[in-house]
Amino acid sequence: MTAHAPSHAGHGHEYGMHVAHVSSAGTLIRILVTLLILTIVTVAISRVDFGGANMLVAMVIALVKMSLVMTFFMHLKYDTAVNILFILGSFVFLSLLFLFTLADSTTRADTDPTLVQPAKVKPGVYPSSLGHH
Amino acid sequence: MSDAHAHATPTPSGFVPHHVAHHFKTWEQEFQSGKLGFWLFLATEVLLFGGLFAGYIYYHGMYEETFRVCGRMLDWQLGALNTSVLLLSSWTMAMGVRAAQLSQRKACFGWLMTTVLCGAGFMVVKYIEYSAKIEHGTLPTAWFHPHGEHAAELNKLIAEGGHPAMFFSFYFTMTGIHGLHVLIGMIVITYYATGVAKGKYHSGHYLPIDLVGLYWHIVDIIWIFLFPLLYLVP
Repeated sequence: MTAHAPSHAGHGHEYGMHVAHVSSAGTLIRILVTLLILTIVTVAISRVDFGGANMLVAMVIALVKMSLVMTFFMHLKYDTAVNILFILGSFVFLSLLFLFTLADSTTRADTDPTLVQPAKVKPGVYPSSLGHH
Repeated sequence: MSDAHAHATPTPSGFVPHHVAHHFKTWEQEFQSGKLGFWLFLATEVLLFGGLFAGYIYYHGMYEETFRVCGRMLDWQLGALNTSVLLLSSWTMAMGVRAAQLSQRKACFGWLMTTVLCGAGFMVVKYIEYSAKIEHGTLPTAWFHPHGEHAAELNKLIAEGGHPAMFFSFYFTMTGIHGLHVLIGMIVITYYATGVAKGKYHSGHYLPIDLVGLYWHIVDIIWIFLFPLLYLVP
């Protein structure tokens, strides 16, 4: 850092200096390389059959990539607690939206057998009540 | 406004001094207020795209086969290229913020403009992809009239109860709003790069560069999820 504080002596009030966290160039390039390798992994695992767990595996890798970007590129590791709380809070509320969406779509047929099952439309049994071609 | 009471933050020689706004007591307070406000904005971005992802989850469960078949119709190689370009641009942006913190004017300008160039590269690839889809009529909702490549496969899918127009609605809506964010990011970064060239941003005032960096990274994060969900539908 080459900052030179101008003379404020004599003003007699608190300066409130802001101290920056400067990431090392080495850390940043290591994160980039890791992210690019994980992108290759993303493509590779899409060719493997995990027997129904493919979505889970793909999302776990994406979440790892996201946390690397947020922790190091976005400096969240060195940010204040309130900022971390705000952004993680948005993910908590987002997971509520996902949870209730899935709770509906995966169980609707269980509660009312007369309902057309929106959970999974199989080829050949396209429900006419949902017709919109 | 600079008056006798305005605090100038420590300014390296040759740079434009920054005066803490009068409604803030200290530089630290001004900096942290800006950061908190921006993280709040990013939280709204998470929820904006989150709604689209929730819709995707619902219809992916409903039309699993449709999503898998249609996902294969996108060019995963172009998608992977764009993922790499955006990740690279996130790194150049992070290096730009670092250069701003260290008052390296020329380096900062270079990193920011490289970021904009990567963004432009991303948009060019997106243009190529969109052109192909428009040409083949695989457009959202009422505009969905497949012809040429994939038409036979898509019509077979519809006959079997699939709903490819739904997949392409998600594809165009999600990548469209994302692309708009990339375009806006490119404009805003270019604007701040001109400020960097004028010496406005340095160790004593790098907040705007930091914030536009955060925006660029969240746009990258959204693409990290869009790539596997649209191009490599699990």
